[in-house]
Amino acid sequence: MYNMSGKRRKTSISVLLAAVCLLVFIYGCSGTKNYTSYTRPQFDIAGIKKIAVLPFENYTSEPYAAERVRRAVMIELMSRGVEVTEPGEITAVLRKQRIRSIRNITVENIRDIGDALGVDAVMKGSVGAFGIRKGISVTYPEVSVNLTLIEPESGDIIWAASNTSGGAGFWTRHFGVEGPTLDEAAAKVVREALDTLFQ
Amino acid sequence: MSLSKKSIFILVVIILLSVAGCYRKSAPVYYMREDVDFSFIKKVAVMPLQNLTDERYADEIVRQTVISELLASGLVDVTIPGEVTAALEKLNIKSAASLNPDQIKQIGKLLNVQALILGSVQQYGEVKFGSVTAPEVTITLMMADVNTGTILWSVTRTLGGSSFMSRHFGAKSKTMSETVVAVVREALQTFTE
Repeated sequence: MYNMSGKRRKTSISVLLAAVCLLVFIYGCSGTKNYTSYTRPQFDIAGIKKIAVLPFENYTSEPYAAERVRRAVMIELMSRGVEVTEPGEITAVLRKQRIRSIRNITVENIRDIGDALGVDAVMKGSVGAFGIRKGISVTYPEVSVNLTLIEPESGDIIWAASNTSGGAGFWTRHFGVEGPTLDEAAAKVVREALDTLFQ
Repeated sequence: MSLSKKSIFILVVIILLSVAGCYRKSAPVYYMREDVDFSFIKKVAVMPLQNLTDERYADEIVRQTVISELLASGLVDVTIPGEVTAALEKLNIKSAASLNPDQIKQIGKLLNVQALILGSVQQYGEVKFGSVTAPEVTITLMMADVNTGTILWSVTRTLGGSSFMSRHFGAKSKTMSETVVAVVREALQTFTE
């Protein structure tokens, strides 16, 4: 009797261990780094005190995605002590210089914007994804951004980062735990991208 | 061997085989000129990509990712996209999809770069795999030398689909944006490695 129950206990422990290993494996699959960043070597990023965040390009079907992410970037920059030009001033300068498309902005345009606004750097950006997606069994927010910081004098890219939110987390997929909202996901994606600028 | 031990052994073997099976990956198809020293390339211009999909902005999304990944590699500097558009307008080139060697040389001279990145997006969207849908992206990238107008490197890469683990065990599957980053990263690795 004792031997039988001992065997059963060992089997139960083995099965339990196998299940734990499987869960840990599945959980491990979720932790991937989604951001990519570049900082120009030998450039003093700390010297940048004021940035003009240009209107972002919107590559999504959500009409206000670009502006929502742009606002998140501006708030995040201000929270880190960087001065940000008021969006109305940027619009006025773009109108004055007859720049219709941010996508086609040249180094000369950026130089003129830098001079007109008195900023140390100009930020361009684009939003590649912004919406709620349907997974196999759950829905989750997907946000993808590309940010580029350009030095107005030289027109050089001094910093660039792209980041995307991952799919639904482990706890949401398996236990139905509430995931982040779309704006929370956007704020996180922006924060992680800007972390690479201020690291 | 007792029955329970046998069962556990069979279960472990099945899991191992499944895991091994789900990691089967196709290698990128690429070409690289062997007689060229790529260290002369310090700055490149990424041309507008050809969009062969129904997704309106697939070309621009992939292009932005290519620029970010090239910069992040630390190997080359990249011209800002607006300068490329201005150069194409100045040279009266309507489409960057079919550039001849002379045009490649002219663009290179105007932008002061050593190479141009050209390419296309063939697939960008959710594809149905059995009972589930998953993102799939296919891209082709080429690098042209602006001194000779010849192709130095080209690669075609496809990524996507739903993995065995995500279909059966609820493991995390890649989002559309993650698939784009992964496909671009793997394509560029054939050049940067």
